[in-house]
Amino acid sequence: MKGSVVSITLNGVERETLVAPGTTLLNLLREHQSLTGTRRGCDQGSCGSCTVLVDGKAKLACLIPVETIAGSRVETVENLALNNELHPLQQAFVEGFATQCGFCTSGMIMAAKGLLSVNPRPSRADVIRAISGNVCRCTGYESIVDAILAAAAGMGKPLKKSA
Amino acid sequence: METIDTSFFTEERAGSFNTVGTSTERADARGHVTGRTQFYEDVSFPNTLHLKMVRSTKHHALIKKLDVAPAMKVPGVVRVLTWKDVPNNWYTILKLIGVGPDDEPVLAEDRVRFIGEQICAVLAETPQAAAEGAKRVKVVYEELPPVFDVEEAMTSKPFTNHGSNYYIYEGHNCRRIRFGDVETAFKQADHILECRYNSAPIEHAPTETTGCVVKPEGNGRYTIYSNTQALYFTLDNTALILGVQFNKLRMIGGTVGGGFGGKVDVIVEPIATLGAMLTNRPVKYAYSRAEEMQVSSPRAAERFYIKDGIMKDGRIFARKITLYVDAGAYCRHSTYGTTKAAAHMPGPYTIPNVHVDAYCVYTNRTPSSAMRGFGVTIADFALESQMDQIARLLKMDPIEFRLKNAYRDGDMKAHRKEVEGAALVEVLQAAAKQSGQKLSSEFLAMSSYGWGSANGKA
Amino acid sequence: MLQAVVTPTSLGDLRKALKLAPKATLVAGGTLVMPIINEGAHGISTLVSLSKLGIDAVSFKKGIATIGAAAPIAELARHSELKFLSAVIDSIGSPTLRNMATVGGNLFAYGDLAVCLVALDATAIVVNAKSKRSAPVEEIIKKGVKAGELVTHVSFAIPKPGTFKYAKASRRALNSASIVTVAAIIPLVKGMVADCRIALGGVAAKPVRAKSVEKLLNAKLFDEKTVRAAAAAAAKEIAPFTDAYASAWYRARVTPVHICRALLGDAAGKS
Repeated sequence: MKGSVVSITLNGVERETLVAPGTTLLNLLREHQSLTGTRRGCDQGSCGSCTVLVDGKAKLACLIPVETIAGSRVETVENLALNNELHPLQQAFVEGFATQCGFCTSGMIMAAKGLLSVNPRPSRADVIRAISGNVCRCTGYESIVDAILAAAAGMGKPLKKSA
Repeated sequence: METIDTSFFTEERAGSFNTVGTSTERADARGHVTGRTQFYEDVSFPNTLHLKMVRSTKHHALIKKLDVAPAMKVPGVVRVLTWKDVPNNWYTILKLIGVGPDDEPVLAEDRVRFIGEQICAVLAETPQAAAEGAKRVKVVYEELPPVFDVEEAMTSKPFTNHGSNYYIYEGHNCRRIRFGDVETAFKQADHILECRYNSAPIEHAPTETTGCVVKPEGNGRYTIYSNTQALYFTLDNTALILGVQFNKLRMIGGTVGGGFGGKVDVIVEPIATLGAMLTNRPVKYAYSRAEEMQVSSPRAAERFYIKDGIMKDGRIFARKITLYVDAGAYCRHSTYGTTKAAAHMPGPYTIPNVHVDAYCVYTNRTPSSAMRGFGVTIADFALESQMDQIARLLKMDPIEFRLKNAYRDGDMKAHRKEVEGAALVEVLQAAAKQSGQKLSSEFLAMSSYGWGSANGKA
Repeated sequence: MLQAVVTPTSLGDLRKALKLAPKATLVAGGTLVMPIINEGAHGISTLVSLSKLGIDAVSFKKGIATIGAAAPIAELARHSELKFLSAVIDSIGSPTLRNMATVGGNLFAYGDLAVCLVALDATAIVVNAKSKRSAPVEEIIKKGVKAGELVTHVSFAIPKPGTFKYAKASRRALNSASIVTVAAIIPLVKGMVADCRIALGGVAAKPVRAKSVEKLLNAKLFDEKTVRAAAAAAAKEIAPFTDAYASAWYRARVTPVHICRALLGDAAGKS
């Protein structure tokens, strides 16, 4: 078994990582780069907890052997709150009580970010479709959909700052 | 949206609330949305060993041979733990509150009682090596007839260590309620309705699977990072199983990626801690999604027989309930769930004659345990379905039928405790109003504060 | 345990890689192979990725669509020529999954798109170490490909407007496996059915042609009565199975209903 060095632009910074064959992007993020905000829920592509953006598109980190995305840009939830300012999606999730146990939250936010990048004014049906691969077992879907719609409506103008 | 009706129980709302009614940011929300909330699996330590469990592929079988040698040949496999390594292999979770006997082994000894039961634990340098090692362990079984039906299980051959086919409650074969005399009351009733209600097990399927990471510290103590919902139960049971003092263990947790009652059993921590003790290395034991679905305890399957004696005017005069709760192979929290079910009988209704037998029965299914209102939720499904059946039989409106029987303050419940703080009458009236259903003045005049002359009962 | 993951960038490189590791498992979007890898103890030692092979483009020429086997299913939604497939695309997994799952993967997983390719009478382009051949997708599904062969593209004629029909029954509205999938091409000449093709998914181990249904429709007046009578003949073509989503009995029972819904519209199957 021979490892290889894989270079990925991770949250804007090029990172080289020595990985064992078939290391998934999820394991690279969590175990090699300590970016544990991307969650492991099933390792089967069924729950959406590990959703990240690869070259701008929402994908499941648990299903990607990193050798196959060498040179790509990967964005994770850790990249959203720059300078301690929450991203509008994050702010909307906080204000809309769209988190319960919090385990699905990272994946939900990244799937939503993928949606808003191509469809900045989604309908409710668009949002429901976009997160249809993300499981919230606390079943807080309504507030999550509301938060994504609120974020979309508020993007471009600053949302109310929380205390 | 409906506004909250504060007109009821105004005198009970004397407190001055500063936070209730205002919107306050969740303490954990920022951690969740930024991905910084630390779940148990977000810690990692150098030299961690990964634990993969070898599980029973049979519902019920004797283990004739267990050969772990092929696993040890897999590069990276460090050790395989069997029941012989576990200091006190037999336990039951609720022993901390005096429940017994110890009916469950940490690792199976001479037999297995459900598919997925833990047999031996492979510890390896990587998850891949652990999985490969687990696959190569050879288990030779001699199959025994499995029992899946609770009523069949009542009369089948008892499991060893359990002592009986059902849990013994203070010398009785079931949790019992005896109030009035149902048999005489049935003879006096105008109608008898007997129905059977059945439920299947329900899996919580938390998004984060069950798991823990155990780290040996330099001072001889062990830190257990866990997503258990029951930190102290887990600490105490783990210490008892491993035969160490409680203060040798430290639990870090409280952040659970979905529990719903599915993470209150003590399964992963004892064996992972044992692995850490025997190797002096950190050990991680995380369920795969398939393991979570197959072996984590579901809500119990339940079977109800409800026999009611009803008077022409709509009063339930007698209710007899026989309940079988399917504990699965081991009792875990099901004994407690069965007690809760019995405590919930006969529903929020005033019935003068009540007879309940609630059995907690062992079968060869996955052990069941806690889940959101266990013992109560399925009971309500059965009781309220029965209420609808009776309303249909009497050609009565289902809300009015419930109002006729709803308990009031001062009534004596079947458990011989006087009702206080009842609100069912008001809730039913509000439900009728919100659903646009007109109640007659007789039912509108009813109140939880007593029967009065308008309440349809002499 | 995995020993290597190879990502060839040309067919030549791919052939070399497969020569070195003839038993290698091919992976494209990863949605089928990686769950097995992640479960461990899988016995796979080499993965050969098709993701950088350059077989992920979608092109059109003279009414023929040619789609690379490694094209993600989401890619199909970007082409107005394939608008007739939008309900199909929407019914496969979630948008996130569709950014990964490929046309070739769906073909060999016998998914909903594979059912459509059978209905569309699509052709598969198959390469091996030396040569290239083409074969009907229907035949590839029935017989598979030979060792060392790889489907690189599928192509089909864009159907005339209004002739493509599709219905999928599943437990949830979105992101749910098929109970019954129906895809059909129903060309009409003066109200009469002219040489139709109907394919069914979810009701056998692989997608099947509903030839007896086609036979009863061909050269007949396309009306509700004819379709209902023909749909009942589907029972002969299917070998339904029981899984977590539906029983074999249920699948058999509702297959004609969903054929009617696909061909006549939603309201038709309801009475």
